[in-house]
Order: sequence, then structure tokens, then C-alpha cells
Amino acid sequence: MGEPGHSRRALLKGVGGLVAACPFAASVARAEPHVTDAPLANHASQDDRTPFYGARQAGVVTPRPAHGMVASFAVVADDADALEALFRRLTERIAFLTAGGPVPVLDPKLPPADSGLLGPVARPDGLTVTVALGASLFDDRPWLRPLKPKRLTRMTRFPNDALNADLCHGDLTLQICANSQDATIHALRDIIKSIPDQLILSWKQEGAVPVVAPGPDGTAESARNFLGFRDGSANPDSRDEALMDRVVWVGAGDGEPDWATGGSYQAVRIIRNFVERWDRTPLGEQERIMGRSKMTGAPLDKLSASEFVGPDYAQDRDGRLTPLDSHIRLANPRDAKSDANLILRRPFNYSNGVTRSGQLDQGLLFICYQADLDAGFISVQRRLDGEPLEEYVKPVGGGYFYVLPGVETPSDHLGRALVAAAREPRDG
Amino acid sequence: MTPPASRRAPSRRALRLGVAGAALLALAGAALFAYAVKRGGPKPEDGAIAVAVRDGRCEPNDLTVPAGRAVFHIRNQSDRTLEWEILDGVMVVEERENIPPGFSARLTARLKPGTYQITCGLLSNPRGTLTVTPSAASEAARARPPITAFIGPLSEYKVTLALQSSAFVTQVGRLREAIAAGDLDAAKARFAEARAAYRRLEPMAARFGHLKNALDGAADYLAEREADAAFRGLPRIEYGLFAKGAVEGLAPVAAALAEDAAALKARLRELKLAPEDLFGASARQARLLADGAVVHGLAPYAKNDAAELGAELDGMAKAAGLLSPLLKEASPEAATALDLRFAETRAALAGLSPGAGRDDPARTALAQRFGALSDALRQAAAALGLE
Amino acid sequence: MKLKHSLAAAGLALVLASGAFARDAALDLVEPLAEYKVYVTEKTEKLETDVAAFTAAVKAGEIDKAKALFAPSRMSYEAIEPIAELFGDLDASIDSRADDHEGGEANPDFIGFHRIEYALWVKSSTEGLAPVADKLLADVKELRTRIAGLTFPPEKVVGGAAALMEEVAATKISGEEDRYSHTDLWDFRANFDGSRKIVELVRPLIAKKEATFLKTVDANFERIDTILSKYKQGEGYVSYEKLTDGDRKALSAAVNTLAEDLSKLRGKLGLD
Repeated sequence: MGEPGHSRRALLKGVGGLVAACPFAASVARAEPHVTDAPLANHASQDDRTPFYGARQAGVVTPRPAHGMVASFAVVADDADALEALFRRLTERIAFLTAGGPVPVLDPKLPPADSGLLGPVARPDGLTVTVALGASLFDDRPWLRPLKPKRLTRMTRFPNDALNADLCHGDLTLQICANSQDATIHALRDIIKSIPDQLILSWKQEGAVPVVAPGPDGTAESARNFLGFRDGSANPDSRDEALMDRVVWVGAGDGEPDWATGGSYQAVRIIRNFVERWDRTPLGEQERIMGRSKMTGAPLDKLSASEFVGPDYAQDRDGRLTPLDSHIRLANPRDAKSDANLILRRPFNYSNGVTRSGQLDQGLLFICYQADLDAGFISVQRRLDGEPLEEYVKPVGGGYFYVLPGVETPSDHLGRALVAAAREPRDG
Repeated sequence: MTPPASRRAPSRRALRLGVAGAALLALAGAALFAYAVKRGGPKPEDGAIAVAVRDGRCEPNDLTVPAGRAVFHIRNQSDRTLEWEILDGVMVVEERENIPPGFSARLTARLKPGTYQITCGLLSNPRGTLTVTPSAASEAARARPPITAFIGPLSEYKVTLALQSSAFVTQVGRLREAIAAGDLDAAKARFAEARAAYRRLEPMAARFGHLKNALDGAADYLAEREADAAFRGLPRIEYGLFAKGAVEGLAPVAAALAEDAAALKARLRELKLAPEDLFGASARQARLLADGAVVHGLAPYAKNDAAELGAELDGMAKAAGLLSPLLKEASPEAATALDLRFAETRAALAGLSPGAGRDDPARTALAQRFGALSDALRQAAAALGLE
Repeated sequence: MKLKHSLAAAGLALVLASGAFARDAALDLVEPLAEYKVYVTEKTEKLETDVAAFTAAVKAGEIDKAKALFAPSRMSYEAIEPIAELFGDLDASIDSRADDHEGGEANPDFIGFHRIEYALWVKSSTEGLAPVADKLLADVKELRTRIAGLTFPPEKVVGGAAALMEEVAATKISGEEDRYSHTDLWDFRANFDGSRKIVELVRPLIAKKEATFLKTVDANFERIDTILSKYKQGEGYVSYEKLTDGDRKALSAAVNTLAEDLSKLRGKLGLD
């Protein structure tokens, strides 16, 4: 739950100004939403299509729809051919699912080709399926080991973690996002049914973000997490391509294997929130723990401002307004060095049921992307170690993964460069 | 279309079949169509139903035909080119277009029971009615379970036949041993067991004419009767043991019998059973028993008719029982009747004393029961569309 | 005469009739189905013999002998589960697991194979097991009687090939079936054999039309054989805990794929 800077204030102001100057343009000039904006009520359509083809995979800097899921798999692939086969099959299914179309009709004596969750025509519903690889995929295969991204490791425990081995790591993850839960489940079931011999499901976590009505200027506020706070206010602007190239996407000069260009590091954390206890905590303490106003999202040093206004720590060096150990201040101290630790967060809230102790099993399916895992999530989380919020949260699962570069054309497939590199003879 | 009032509430499956059947019939109708438009030629072929269209109506205006394939001969005696249709509600079941004035056309349709409309010229003209009445074939087709419903019972019968024929081979082996040992009493007891094992199988064994004669050919059908060189199999051994009271000379007969029993088992193993066999073979056998065998006697020397007929009944009941769940669903009446006939036959059999002579009224009564049983088996088969 | 002998003597080998009259192709299943009944009947006979020896050892307090007989005794049951499971009451009393019962192991309704397994491995005691052993043997005898009188439903038999794989994929690959003894690999072997038997019996019916399908299915069965063979020990298998993570995944993939592929078998044979 880091909160690095680069607010969206400037851009939002620009949009607001435009709307003010030309009110009739409001309906056509609405800016594309930012990645952590709450999905707007009545704006999602089952025919929303997020393009699958591109240099980078969808589902990272594309707007976050109402539903998301991370599913982690063990991979069965003993050589480059098998790995290519897996990537080709995944590509084929994802290309179909994200574009939508009629599902095949078979002899009723046979099991149907499709789960039918979306009816005879699978409409895309804003679906994205983002494929990422875990360290174990490389570590367990000598022929793939030399190609592992430099900073990809098996997630290690942080002091407050209580990791459940059944909810951690994996050879490959799918981040599946869509306007509806049905569309994400449909996609997952399709892929499981299509590739049973190479993908073995290890764990999954589903989540959602609240859909909110747009403000008068047609824009959204950040969605709230299950602690009741706005989450994502200070996310770097996902519409700023140059910023994303620096913060999120791995480039040619980043010291990563050639095949990895256009990918990104994905950190997934299943963070349970002790919501009953949180709800019994005084509001003032909650706000001091988080470092923001609960209702408005305003920084504690500017309570009348909007959530998109950043705090000014220079004027509050001893933390009298925003405590030094508050979540947002630890996550992003907004100093000269912390700019290197920016991450793009894309979380979902989850609600699973009831624990053995009769408490709600709720929390945050935290997902973030960065070009450098060490400088990004790991550094941010290290700063957060020991924060007061830890009393109310408990990371129980997740892992680190590397998002494959995108699929540029229908003749291309996921992981093509990786497979090609694996086939190249290596000397020493 | 309004289906004719049913005597009983159709089962869900029957309804499903009905729907499927309607679709099939419609398809068949389309596939069967053969028509010709001819000038004049009012002579409908044999069996074709003549319909003339004139003065804004059909003649006759109300038709009644039995379900199944029907051929219509339509003569256009109006002054307008017309089309003639059979309608099921709003759906066209079959039609002929462009019949010019003075011409006729033929139309073939496969029709399900129900009430249809026929068009008579202009669209504004009142329509005639076509009533299709149920026929025996249509009723059976409606009730007939899907072919897959017979897979289980047939395979179970296959297992039963394998067990029964193995038992027969085993019993013949023991009979042979007793004969080889020269033990007359043991041989007599073994004979009864072997013959009973054969009787259980007889409805199916009787299919193999040559084997049947070798295994169980009565002396009555041989030129020299018991003295005939061809007198062999179970009757020959029965004759030796019970009429002659001796095992002497029976060893080669028993050896041949063992070979024939093994051959029967092999033939049954290879036999591809059909659904008709389950009731059909028993019905045939029951008819044979009714038409003479019961009165004539099955075991002329051993005089063991009651036990042998009991084994016959067991075999028939086993085969029939395998279809009983299907029969109960298709026709509870036929199922009840069949159970009753089996019970009556068993009761009549219980009244047959071991020494009953040919003219004993108990034999006639039992023969009648077997006759009724055969009829009930045939009706059961018909109820399942197995004819 | 004993059924066993008669069935063995019956030798219902599938003989393809040549020049026989045309018969509805759907009825080609009659012969494989009859042979399957013979297979199941022989398995239930063996089950009864094995369970009689197993329960005798339990009642005699011979813990080591009973432990040695536990896994092999189960195999005949595991191989015929598609049919055995048709009798829900017997399946519950013969093969239910502790978590099928409220209160788990402590529940007196928890009986059958796994109750005895629990006592042998966890309690290392056969105390109080005599009634459980008697009931198990009685249930197995009752199962045999019921199977003898059962007309096998073809869709259950053909569907059984997939159902066995489904079962392994859903509730066995985790090692929860034989959680006290870890003899799961014995069960797997029997489940795979039972599934493959069904495929073999119907193979002639689809060999021509479904060559590719059968090739894939065969390859996955062989994959399973290869993995299991690594863990063979004597007549059986080593503890399930010895299965490497890699092999468990490979096994899981093969089982899931078989479950997926074999789910089409019924339809391919024209059964609803």
C-alpha cells in the first residue's frame, strides 16, 4: 500500500478548465480515466474492448475496471517447444476472450465448448488478461534460468507477513480484469479448460473496486479500500507515457535480458485487513495512521484540499500534522530520493468469507507495477516495515512476477522473444 | 395442433420423444416429397387422397387420415393459380406452390396424430381441417424408448446368457463324469440339472437350428425314433437313463453333448443381441410350449416336466425382467398384464403333478397360460415399439 | 456354482461378428458394457477376498499385517468406483473420510476403510475396531450382491472413465484420501486402471473416427504410468509424501487433461 507521488492535479485542472471554457464539450472531451480512478457508474459496457495487441500488455496502465483477479499457476513445460506451445495457446485464448465473439456450438451430447457464463456470444466487457512469470519458472528449468529477469526473485517474508504457502508464488500468473466478475471468471474457466495439460492452478484471489458516480466535471475520485480510505490518490499518472516508460516499463537500457524489453515487474500481495478492529479504532487515530482525512482524502496539513493535493512535509518536519510514521509519509516521503521508488498501484478489495475466529476475511488484493522491483515495491515496503498500520493488516500471500512484453500482431504470440532466446545456443 | 386425448398422462420422456418425433416426421416429409404437376389427370393413384379446390373451398373440406405417410392428390379446379398447404398452427408442415388452374399436384407428407388446417386457394378463403388419427405404428413410435435405453438391458442379458451357458457346460461336464463313473443315480440327478440349465437358455438356444437338434432333438422327429442313429443329445441320455435304466453306451453321447454345449456357449458369446430379442425369443418359446409341447410333454422318459417348465419360465422371466423398468414407463398396463401372466403361469405350473398324463386337464390349462403369456410378451414388445 | 468361476469360464471376450445383420450402431456398446460387468464382478470378488483377510488381521490385532493389507485391499474398490458410488449408502460406510462427518474422526459414524486407517496409523491400535471391521466386510458383501443384480447404466460406465479422473483431480491429488497412511499412490493406480479399462473396452467403437483423441488419451495414461513407475516399491508404491513437487504437477496436468478429454467420451459414443 505504498503511496508515491506525482499527483494528477495538474492534468485534472486542465480538464476542469476545458470543461469550464467549453461546457458542451464535456461529453466528448472526457479524459480517459486514470488507472486507479474508481470505475464510473453507467459508463461500463459489455462491449468495452481493451485492445489486446500492442507493444505492451493491457491491464497495467489501462484503466482499472470494477473487477480483478490474480490466478497463479504451476507450468508444465520441459523444453522451449512446450513453453512456446503454452504461450501460443494462451495468446489464442486471450485474443479471443478480449475481443469477444460467438462461442462454438457443439453436439449437445458433448460437454459444451464454453462455460456459457456470458451466453451464446462472449462479449468482451472490458476484459484484460495480463500474463506474468514467476521466478520458479526460470529457477526450475536450467535452459531458462539464464534468461531470468535480473530482479525477479521469489518473494521473501517481510516482518509483518504471515505468508500462507498455499497463496504464494507460482510459475505464471494471470491478472484478469473486467467490468463484471462473470467476465473474469468466464476467462479463467476458459483458460483452465483449454490448457489443462500445461497450467495447474495453485491459488487465486478475486477482488473488486467500487463503482462511483462521476463528479460534475465527468471525472472520478479514487476508489476506497476496505479501511474506508481513498486508495490511489497519489498514484503516478498512468496517462503520462513518458512517466510510465520510466516508472513502469522496462526499457532496452535497463540491464534486463533483451527479451524482457516492454515488460514490467508485478508485485502481488494479499493483505488481510482486520476490519472489525479497525472499525473500533477512533477516527483521529485512523487518520493519523494513514496520514489523510478519511472522508475527503485530503492531506492532514491541508484539510480543505482535495485528495489530489499532496502534503507539504517541508513545512511539517517533525510530523505534527502528518505523523512521520503514517502510512503515506513512510510510503512516499516525497524527498529527492523517493522519486526513484515510484510504483503504479492497481489494487482491488477482496471479501472472502469468515475466518475460523468468526471474523470477516477482507482486505486488499494489492497489485503494483514497476520497472525496477528493488527500487520499487521492495524499497517502499521496507520503509513501511513496522508502521502503525501493521496492527490492522496482515499480508498472507502473493509473489513477484514479470509481465511479458505485449503481442504486437495476430501472427505474434506472448513470450516469443523469450522462447527464441531460450533456443539460442549459449556459450558460457 | 391438438394431440388426441391420451389415455394416460404421457411421461416426460414420451413427450420429449414426441417432440423429437414430430421434428423427424417433418424432416421425413420434406425428404420424401415427390411431386408432379400434371395437366388434368384427375386419377389419383391408389391410396392417394383426392382434394379438389374450387369455389373458394376444398372438396372435401374436412379430411381424416391415419398417422404416417399420406399422399395427397390436389386438383386445382379454380380459375387462379394456387398453393396448397398443411398447417400446424402457424407452421407449414408441407406445401405445394404454383398449381395452375386445371392442373393437379401430388404431395407426400409424414404426419403425426393431431389436427391440422389445410389452405384452399386464396389466403382469405376459409381453411379446411385435416385430422390425423393415431395408428398402431405412430403409437409405438411415440412410446418407443431411445435405442440407447436398451444398451444396459441387452448387455445384462449378454452377461446372463454367458453365465447360463457356462452353467450348462459345467452341468454337462458333471453329467459326463457321472456317466463315465457308471453311477446311474448320480447321472439321473446330473441330467436333471443339465436339462434345467438348458431350459433356462432355450429361448435363445432355439435360434441355432442345427445345435438345437443336436442338443435337444426329440425322437418323435426321427424316422426310426429312439432307434435312429441320429438320436442324440439330452433326449438320448434321458432315454438311456430313465427308459433303459442304464449308463451303458452313453459315454460317446455325453462326449458329443459336451462339444455341442461348448459350441452353444461360443455361439451365444458371438451373438449380437437386438432389443427385439428380449421379449421376442421368450414369446416364441412360450408359443411353442402352448401349441403342443406342454401337452405332449418335455421329458417323455424322465417325466420331469414341472421342473423343466419351471426352468423355462425362469429364463423367460429373467429376460423380460430386464426390460421391466422401460416397460413400466412406456405402458404400465402392459407391464402389469405381463407380471400377471407370469404369475398365472407359475400358479398353473404348480398345479401340474409330476406324473400328469397327456390328457391331464392341468396340462391343457398350463398350455393356455403359456399361450396367454406369449401374447402378453408380444404386447409388451409392441408397447416398446419392438416389432 | 461360484460366480467367479462361471464368469471366468464365460470368457466374454469381445468378438466382432462378421457378416451379421445390420444393427443400430448405438448397440455396439452392448458387448463392451457386458465385459465391463464381468470386470467389475471379478473386482468385487477380489475385494471381498481381500477385505476378509484385512478385517481378519484387524480383528486379530495384527497391526503390521493389517497395515500391509490396507492399501492393496482398497485397490479393487478404487478401480470400480463409477459403479460402487452408485450405491451412496455403501460408499459412505465403506469409503467416507473423516471430514464427511461432523466432528471428524471422533464421530461414531466415521467407519469403513478410513476409520481403520486412522486407528492403524494414528492410534497404532485396533482396540474397539472389531465392529467396524465386521461392518466393512458385511458392506463389501452387500455391494457384491447389489452389483450382481444391477443392470449397468451405459452412461455411468462410459462417463466413469472421466469421473475417476475427475475424482483424482478434485479430491485426491492433494493427498487427502489416505491422509493417515499416505498410500494414495495405490489408490491412484487403481483409479487409473479403472478408467483405462473403460477406454479400452470402447476403443474398437471409436478407433477409426477418433484416432487423434485416443492418441492423446493414451499419451496421458502413459505419462501417468511413467511417473507412477518411479515410485513403485514391491507390489505397491512408496508413501505419497515422497512424490516430488514436479511429479505431482506433471501428474496433476495429465489427470486434468484426461478429465477434460474423457468428459467427451459419452458424447462421442452417442450417449446423453
